Amino acid sequence: MRPEFPAIHEIWVYLSGSPLLALVLTLAAYQIGVMIYERSSLHPLANPVLIAVTLIAATITAIDMPYPKYFEGAQFVHFLLGTATVSLAVPIYKGLPSLRGRLLPLAAALLGGGVTSIVTAVVLARLLGADETVVGGLYAKSLTAPIAMGVAERIGASPTLTAVFTVTTGILGAALGRFVLDAVRCREWWQRGFAIGVASHGIGTSRAFSVHAEAGAYAGLAMGLHGVAGAIVIPWAISALR
Amino acid sequence: MIDGLVRILVFQGIGEVVAKFVFPLVPGPVIGLVLLLAFLAWRGEVGEGLEFVSSAFSRYLGVLFVPAAVGVVMFWPHLQRQALAIIVALVVSVAATIAVSAVIARLLGRGKSDAA
Repeated sequence: MRPEFPAIHEIWVYLSGSPLLALVLTLAAYQIGVMIYERSSLHPLANPVLIAVTLIAATITAIDMPYPKYFEGAQFVHFLLGTATVSLAVPIYKGLPSLRGRLLPLAAALLGGGVTSIVTAVVLARLLGADETVVGGLYAKSLTAPIAMGVAERIGASPTLTAVFTVTTGILGAALGRFVLDAVRCREWWQRGFAIGVASHGIGTSRAFSVHAEAGAYAGLAMGLHGVAGAIVIPWAISALR
Repeated sequence: MIDGLVRILVFQGIGEVVAKFVFPLVPGPVIGLVLLLAFLAWRGEVGEGLEFVSSAFSRYLGVLFVPAAVGVVMFWPHLQRQALAIIVALVVSVAATIAVSAVIARLLGRGKSDAA
């Protein structure tokens, strides 16, 4: 018997009170997600974010940790979203030369795709009986996630639902893109990549890069331009319509 | 590396201030992004530190929205009830978005890519 050694529950109380547990849980779950994603040879359905969220949700439910408590620790990771958003200026800057000579078709495709993304999702969800909390999460879902969540805050929607719908949209676009593009007989790599990037941001972009370098470059450009344009236009349009 | 991070944080800070006082509807970091983009265009090059930080962020972007997305546990019963509406809306919307963007790019871009 060594009385100076603390009991297990005391260690647990100490650990669950510090941000370390949530932080380790977040990074470890994401690491597992990345490993599974790589093992699946980058299959879009084995998305690391989706895997990490599932693992963490299951863990905090199992150990009875309320979500606000988890977030208190994980907010150090969350804080970097804004910083990551600013750093997107670099890939956009490097992609700008690809716009040369194709500005009109790309700008029109971005505008048409952006409007389609919002209108189809919002109208369909309302028709099928979704409530306003859910509908609010759909507005920014085709923007890259860090920007989408910033937009959600500005329009009074839930950043959580927006993040979940955004990731789901990315996965769906990456998985379905090829079939849709073949169905509309779109064959040029730059057009295929751009369309994927407009609809399904970063997840679609990494998929496009794994298929063809030119498609990936245009997908990344579409993701950046849609993010910036959406962040400026969506909150303004919604406040004008309200 | 630190110089790149400092530059990004400075632009983020300027963006937040501009958002607060001038464009309250636009998220601050997006204004920071646009200002950094203008700065890069003016300077004509990215620089090593900025390059390093931005590629690190791009690579691990996914982990940054995990904490917020885990909040889905609080919406779970709510989402289950509306699962059909959500799934149909997301699937149809993403397919329609890809189709519309691709068709517009194909129709308007045709002449140019043939000529190139």
